[in-house]
Amino acid sequence: MTNFVQLILNLLIFPGGLFAVALGLFLMGIDRKIAARLQRRVGPPVYQPFIDLVKLTRKEMVVPGTAHLQAFWLAPLLGFAGMMAAVTLIPIAGVYQGFKYSGDLLVLLYLLALPAIALMIGGSASSSPFGAVGFSREMVMMMSYELPLLVVLVTIALKVGLATGGIATFSLSEIVQFQLENGALLFDYTMLPALLAFLVFIPGNMGVVPFDIPEAETEIVEGPILEYSGTGLALFKLMTSLKMIVVLGLAIALFFPTPLGKNFLVNLLWFFLKCLVLMVIAITIVRTSTGRVRMDQAFKFYLRYPTVLALISLVLTLLQR
Amino acid sequence: MKKLLQKIAKKSPWLYRINAGSCNGCDVELATTACIPRYDVERLGCKYCGSPKHADIVLITGPLTARVKEKVLRLYDEIPDPKVTVAIGVCPISGGVFRDSYAISGPIDNFIPVDVNVPGCPPRPQAIIDGIVEAIKIWETRL
Ligand code: SF4
Repeated sequence: MTNFVQLILNLLIFPGGLFAVALGLFLMGIDRKIAARLQRRVGPPVYQPFIDLVKLTRKEMVVPGTAHLQAFWLAPLLGFAGMMAAVTLIPIAGVYQGFKYSGDLLVLLYLLALPAIALMIGGSASSSPFGAVGFSREMVMMMSYELPLLVVLVTIALKVGLATGGIATFSLSEIVQFQLENGALLFDYTMLPALLAFLVFIPGNMGVVPFDIPEAETEIVEGPILEYSGTGLALFKLMTSLKMIVVLGLAIALFFPTPLGKNFLVNLLWFFLKCLVLMVIAITIVRTSTGRVRMDQAFKFYLRYPTVLALISLVLTLLQR
Repeated sequence: MKKLLQKIAKKSPWLYRINAGSCNGCDVELATTACIPRYDVERLGCKYCGSPKHADIVLITGPLTARVKEKVLRLYDEIPDPKVTVAIGVCPISGGVFRDSYAISGPIDNFIPVDVNVPGCPPRPQAIIDGIVEAIKIWETRL
């Protein structure tokens, strides 16, 4: 029973639910502020995403007459719920353990695909031609960034698994535990290519500027989320902010979970700081300094560089044993 | 509670541009207002959005030509309430340089309720920002 209560608390309050939503929105606000400062603008206040959400809940909801109603409303809920569940799987060293379950990395991998699928369902259910274009682009994007991610995950699973005497471990908590005992993978030279590949994966998954092709607002007017207004749009915004926490948290858990001492609060702040630095490197700077690429360019790029980098890590890991 | 939410929500007006047959002069000024650091509108919480479904403040430029009229009216209906309309330039007010042309069906406020007029041909970015601020005040009462 206590287990169950704890699970619900984890899902709704900390580290999932309220905490993750607040953290994600706050990070997004900082991202917008820094992007504005990099372009020499004043920029919105850091709490702008919260304001946007409050505003969106007060707007009328317009549903296109030709839309498939159930799928149209199911899509944002699906994406949001999936990300809520995914956040609880992310361990924060020294603060939260995650699930002691041997396949959580695989579950996370599937959950990570949910936002893209939610966008696809929403886009195609909205019956808008832009939504349909967004759907196909989202699909191609997903296929291109999923492969390097998979190779990176397998590499790390093999690395940790081989070092602890097994074959491969797909348990995130074991990976974190291994790093707490043997030093973070960030400082292991065989893992550097994998780290680079993961850094490149982040903007693709988050759909920010060079790879925001599915939601290109100047070409296909925001694609899948074009027809959503009011609360539906708010749910998609929440989904994106949660996804940011999941992706950044996953990167931190995989490469640099090292906590700072034993204090709960200090570790939480330390986690926030790591998220912030990672976000600025992988999202904000990339987003402000590049322009959007074409679909085929993005596809080729992902199949070429990050995949090859991740494969190098894989080979080095296998050679090292 | 409602008051508080109103106060919070008014800080996030998203802008949507409708070009109702403008000569592009006003649109260039709008782009300046948005993109040039000196006139940054994002500091007011504004964001240009691509979809009419996300819009709060509608910026209309141009004299409403006969060809574009139906589409503009349809687009306007798609924007969820509460919304505020700002007419940019002298064209939407009177037709401007295109007045008495056979090809225009404007002035726009014969068809759409216009809340704020920003005259000028084209108006300066400062004037546009002023118009947006005016529009936010009206928008707050409707939220
Ligand atoms: S007001 Fe002047 S600049 Fe603006 S659309 Fe009309 S003619 Fe062009």
